[in-house]
Amino acid sequence: MDIKPLEKEKIPYSELEELEKECPSQEKEKKNGISSLDDEKEIISKNILSNIHQYDVIIIGGGLTGLRAALQVSDAQLKVAIISKVHPLRSHSVAAQGGMNASLANVPGENETVDNWKIHAYDTVKGSDYLADQDAVEIMCREAPSTVIELEHMGTAWSRLENGKIAQRPFGGAGFPRTCYAADRTGHNALHTLYEQVISRDIPIYEDFFVTSLVTENEYCVGCTALEILTGKIHGFLASAVLMATGGFGRLFNSSTNALINTGDGQSLALNAGVSLKDMEFVQFHPTTLYGTNILITEGARGEGGILINKNGERFMGNYAPNSLDLAPRDVVARAIDTEIAEGRGFKGGYVHLDLRHLGEELIKERLPGIRQISIDFAGVDPINEPIPIQPGQHYSMGGIDADKDGKTSLKGFYAAGECACISVHGANRLGGNSLLETVVFGRMVGDAIIEEISKGSCKEQNNLETVQKAITEIDSKLKIILSRNTSENQFKIKESLNNTMSSKFGIFRDRVVMEKGILEIEEIKKKLSQIKIDNKKLALNQAIIRFLELEYLVQLAETVAFAAMKREESRGSHTRTDYPSRDDKKFLKHTITSLQNKKISVSYKPVVLGMFKPQERVY
Amino acid sequence: MKLKVFRYHEGMSAPHYDTFSLEEEPSMTVLRALFQFQEQFDDSLAFQYSCRGSVCGACAMLINKVPRLACRTQVASLLKGEQQIALSPYPALEEKVGWDPSQEVLVEPLPHFPVVKDLIVDRNAFFKSYKFMEPVIKPESIPPKENLMDPSDLPDLELYTNCILCAACYGACPVDGENKDYLGPAALAKLYRFHIDPRDADNRRLEKADINNGWWACDFHGNCRQVCPKGVPPIMAIGQAQAELMEKKEKSEDKK
Ligand SMILES: Cc1cc2nc3c(=O)[nH]c(=O)nc-3n(C[C@H](O)[C@H](O)[C@H](O)COP(=O)(O)OP(=O)(O)OC[C@H]3O[C@@H](n4cnc5c(N)ncnc54)[C@H](O)[C@@H]3O)c2cc1C
Ligand code: SF4
Ligand code: FES
Repeated sequence: MDIKPLEKEKIPYSELEELEKECPSQEKEKKNGISSLDDEKEIISKNILSNIHQYDVIIIGGGLTGLRAALQVSDAQLKVAIISKVHPLRSHSVAAQGGMNASLANVPGENETVDNWKIHAYDTVKGSDYLADQDAVEIMCREAPSTVIELEHMGTAWSRLENGKIAQRPFGGAGFPRTCYAADRTGHNALHTLYEQVISRDIPIYEDFFVTSLVTENEYCVGCTALEILTGKIHGFLASAVLMATGGFGRLFNSSTNALINTGDGQSLALNAGVSLKDMEFVQFHPTTLYGTNILITEGARGEGGILINKNGERFMGNYAPNSLDLAPRDVVARAIDTEIAEGRGFKGGYVHLDLRHLGEELIKERLPGIRQISIDFAGVDPINEPIPIQPGQHYSMGGIDADKDGKTSLKGFYAAGECACISVHGANRLGGNSLLETVVFGRMVGDAIIEEISKGSCKEQNNLETVQKAITEIDSKLKIILSRNTSENQFKIKESLNNTMSSKFGIFRDRVVMEKGILEIEEIKKKLSQIKIDNKKLALNQAIIRFLELEYLVQLAETVAFAAMKREESRGSHTRTDYPSRDDKKFLKHTITSLQNKKISVSYKPVVLGMFKPQERVY
Repeated sequence: MKLKVFRYHEGMSAPHYDTFSLEEEPSMTVLRALFQFQEQFDDSLAFQYSCRGSVCGACAMLINKVPRLACRTQVASLLKGEQQIALSPYPALEEKVGWDPSQEVLVEPLPHFPVVKDLIVDRNAFFKSYKFMEPVIKPESIPPKENLMDPSDLPDLELYTNCILCAACYGACPVDGENKDYLGPAALAKLYRFHIDPRDADNRRLEKADINNGWWACDFHGNCRQVCPKGVPPIMAIGQAQAELMEKKEKSEDKK
């Protein structure tokens, strides 16, 4: 079946009006007075078939990763479609501010030194607290310059130096000004560029389709099912290869800089299909997010001279980092703020102040206009006159679907890349500017790996409709059961308590006793899932059921984070154990692997790929 | 403090409004208020969202009769009578429902699009116009390294690359309301963005919209620029494109 979703074709404008708004998959059967049983059977099977779509490659996720991979696969003349629960331009990638790292060496380092990919790789591995796989890091850093240039050729409006080359700025943990940027809208610019390229190739996009399961057969991933949000219909997708590119799981925590839709769907879907997750305990917290909405306030605000002040008016960073003060590394500042708040020196509600007033109106308006706008729009505070209320917040998920440098997982035909994956370029701590890079580099490279597998013929020809039909029926009845429940639990309250548990028990500081409590709380929450009642009983455009499914995904991930964090009895990168304050390479220079066995999470380990750089103490 | 929300779904004979008393939260946005409504009052309320930080463009809707991003609009300041924007009038702004602006925030779907459910509209027409513009760079050749670009060319370009395709301008444009075939402010601004990109080699970009429903349909109400959450001025692009096209035509007339 070759079905393209609605109106993804290039249509001359004059004809647009004539085209009805409907998805071919929703084609209504023309009723023409059929009476015989056989005909009726045919109609029924046709109806089911109209829900099933077949492609060479299915890409789940329309962020930077998904779009870049789609271009690669489409250019190899393979039939590819993108599935996304929101319009691709609403993907979280659009929010990235700071930039993308690449050793273009457009800006010299100190004493006129010249950057190169090896130094980038070193910074990345050191930043990862030596948990990154060095073979993957090597690929990412080698490919970085050509990746930034490729985006430039596709139309991204990078900021420029006086000499016309792409501008680069310094970023935390990097030895050179290596971060290429498009003002403070890098993600927006890159995502729009890739979307433009996707549109110009007429790549079909199933938007507002929420993926509900992966379909496997004989240990092979043959496709997925998805709920068409608008109609409530379940669709099946068959493909020789499925790429997961669904982004992070920031919404597991109650304060996160992530988009509200970042609920870790892909990680959970993979887990349920028998694929392992890797390094789930490593969650990055950013020290300065706006109190309330937790919108990111970039490090640049402190770079320009902003200072952190507690309730008593004290500049407290001197007590934690006497030399680098407010500009200490992210994890150090986040821990300091958290300590101030925990010890009662924060403001009511749990925040401290970021004071920019002494910088003066002119500088704030010139260098930090975006931050000023965010503060005004979202906190009603103009930093020229008042300090900005800030608190640390979850920012990035280092862990994810266990994938190798080709994006391959333990399930044949199933690939993962981007923030939902753990190809392991960030290890225990990601450097700012490396994740946008990861999405585009591995979007392309994993695209290539898929093309190669398909051309080798090692991918299974997918023609088994029965398996996917069964999967559709399963999801359909699952959703109907959920809607028919007349129980009494409120999903929004449960989500809130899950968020509270994760932030208070598995946040910036962790220790055994507290985490044990947390695990019990997660168990309680898990039990309540089946008692949740949804009032809206219609399946079409039912946001409550989408939010419920997202909650289910999150609860499952909560367990993986919790068990992985509990078992890692050391402090490394973002994972800080107060009961095990130092790094323990002897025992824990290894990846944590969590998988689902007999419906229970089990934890095992896997070696780290070393090579170029020997683990050393991480001092800045 | 109340939220008055437009409600409609397929099969309903006519839309209606629900009013809901809001529990005060510090710096509550309209988006937060909608979540409160969904979580505490009626979980069937439908609205679009993603980033909650005014960067993704998902949440444009008509708030107190002005197209805005729900996530960027503060409830308290609306009630205080701040954030008023005087728009050139069009039918969707006419009072169809009574509401007390000092007590209530009125939330309705973005005008000029078919309503799918509650606050969700079908933005297909908007993206069709966008696609019609062939919004993709068409380079002459590809250099081995990056194209060099004069940094002083960037501010003009960024004015238009900043568009988040939220469609607020489309819902604010009186011409789009009257003429469904008008390509609309954002699509025209997008076309202009490629026209002024020094890397683009297609020198007939402007001609793409040199049609009745393109550049020439604009009445210069200027609502687009006023409502744009990103400071994009489609009206400026349209004015400049018209001037350039006229000049081009004059020149070719002269040659004849
Ligand atoms: C505020 C902020 C600023 C940042 N700034 C930077 C920066 O300056 N530099 C940097 O390098 N990194 C930055 N990052 C990190 C970076 O933005 C992300 O890691 C990256 O964009 C992730 O891209 P992705 O393609 O993997 O996923 P996303 O962009 O998150 O896309 C996920 C896609 O999957 C789809 N999806 C999800 N679930 C489903 C489902 N169930 N069914 C169907 N579709 C689904 C979504 O619709 C979406 O299209 C920042 C992050 C934040 C939070
Ligand atoms: S021009 Fe402004 S209002 Fe119009 S779609 Fe773009 S961002 Fe939205
Ligand atoms: S939710 Fe993204 S712009 Fe409002």
